[in-house]
Amino acid sequence: MVAGGDSAVTHCDDCSMPTTQPTSPAAGGGTEPVFCAIVPPHVLDKLARHGDPVLSGPARRTIQRDAIERTQRNLATVMGAAAVAPRAGAEPGKPHRTVYDARHGTDLPGRKVRAEGQEPGKDATVNRAYTGLGATFELFLTAYGRDSIDGTGMPLDATVHYDREYNNAFWNGEQMVFGDGDGEIFLDFTLPIDVIGHELTHGVTQYTANLTYYGQPGALNESVSDVFGSLIKQYTLGQTAAEADWLIGAGLLAPRVTGEALRSMKAPGTAYDDDVLGKDPQPATMDDYVRTGRDNGGVHINSGIPNHAFYLLATELGGHAWERAGQIWYDVLTSGALKEDALFTDFATATVRAARERYGDGDEREAVAKAWEQVGVRTL
Amino acid sequence: MRIQVRRTGGFAGIERFAEVETTGRADASEWHTLVERALADGRGTPPVGVPDGFSYQITVDGKTVYAADPRLTDEQRRLISRVLREGA
Repeated sequence: MVAGGDSAVTHCDDCSMPTTQPTSPAAGGGTEPVFCAIVPPHVLDKLARHGDPVLSGPARRTIQRDAIERTQRNLATVMGAAAVAPRAGAEPGKPHRTVYDARHGTDLPGRKVRAEGQEPGKDATVNRAYTGLGATFELFLTAYGRDSIDGTGMPLDATVHYDREYNNAFWNGEQMVFGDGDGEIFLDFTLPIDVIGHELTHGVTQYTANLTYYGQPGALNESVSDVFGSLIKQYTLGQTAAEADWLIGAGLLAPRVTGEALRSMKAPGTAYDDDVLGKDPQPATMDDYVRTGRDNGGVHINSGIPNHAFYLLATELGGHAWERAGQIWYDVLTSGALKEDALFTDFATATVRAARERYGDGDEREAVAKAWEQVGVRTL
Repeated sequence: MRIQVRRTGGFAGIERFAEVETTGRADASEWHTLVERALADGRGTPPVGVPDGFSYQITVDGKTVYAADPRLTDEQRRLISRVLREGA
């Protein structure tokens, strides 16, 4: 890969006037007023907290979409007041899941097929999404005391059967979206529980450190999703760091593909090597850091470096990785001290500080510093 | 008319590229109509997409526009999937 000329340009160009326009699929479909840059932010903020959902709904969605478009903005700050409003049907400390079926279309969220508390149906994809959301919710709650994505019981919405033969899953700023895969290269994206955890963690990051999805902060954003995605799998299986496979997307590749997963935190760059897919391009250390403009500046490539640092820390500490290693990462993510455009060295430094704050100057702090040193990232 | 589609990003971070040359094809005019509509809504610079969303680069006879999931128009979605499916 070579350095590309692509660059992230952040500006809201969906509209230029506060007029009635069709909304993007991300905004929930239908036609409603879209408030854009011409509406001052403080007015939008006030509208978002308005008691009338007709006013607050579009304003909140505009803020959310704007926050995605302008990744510099911290959604958690803007949305703080609205987030504490009581949510219909939500109990503190309980998940509030809804699974939708796009029925192979692209309108989001699609038809509601399973609500919280409903029994499993016949569709295994729906059931897997529901269970995966529950497992992710449980890890964040029991291990870190976090009540859902935003920390205040945000409903967990997921859409399955998105588009046809769709080889992807993503977080659109409001919900998770899963494709069925084409059956040739990828299978159903709800199959690996770490993929579900990965997508949901993008939501947690959006509401906390809000790492810019480009370059090194983007690779950290990706890595945080891989870390907690893997921890959700380990937590579900009751595995120790030594027992875990540290793979992302194991079981997602179709049988004809030569590969065991999409990424390996244990050995980045070794997850697949296939005629059609090519070879896993992830580096494990800074020596092999890939400079590119593609993939938002290599966010899915260079995430291998912080991924491997986490693996080294977790295996050095031993035991359940979600306990001490995961806690340190979670502390950094939610500390409020990390800048949105944090580089690897900023994140690494913050983890050393977090380890000292939580565990003192003991094995943990030393193991964190050693892990980053092994992948070639400097801690200050 | 040469239509090229490059897809980057996505959960897997695996890139795909395909192109279609419409010259001499029986369905050339159908392609041209689709291209015209897809390009009309394209952007001159890459939009910041959503986490794990695909990013697309559509190049037609040297002119490039950008788009990203999930905010594609129907025509963009149709053009992209057709080129990636039928192209080489």
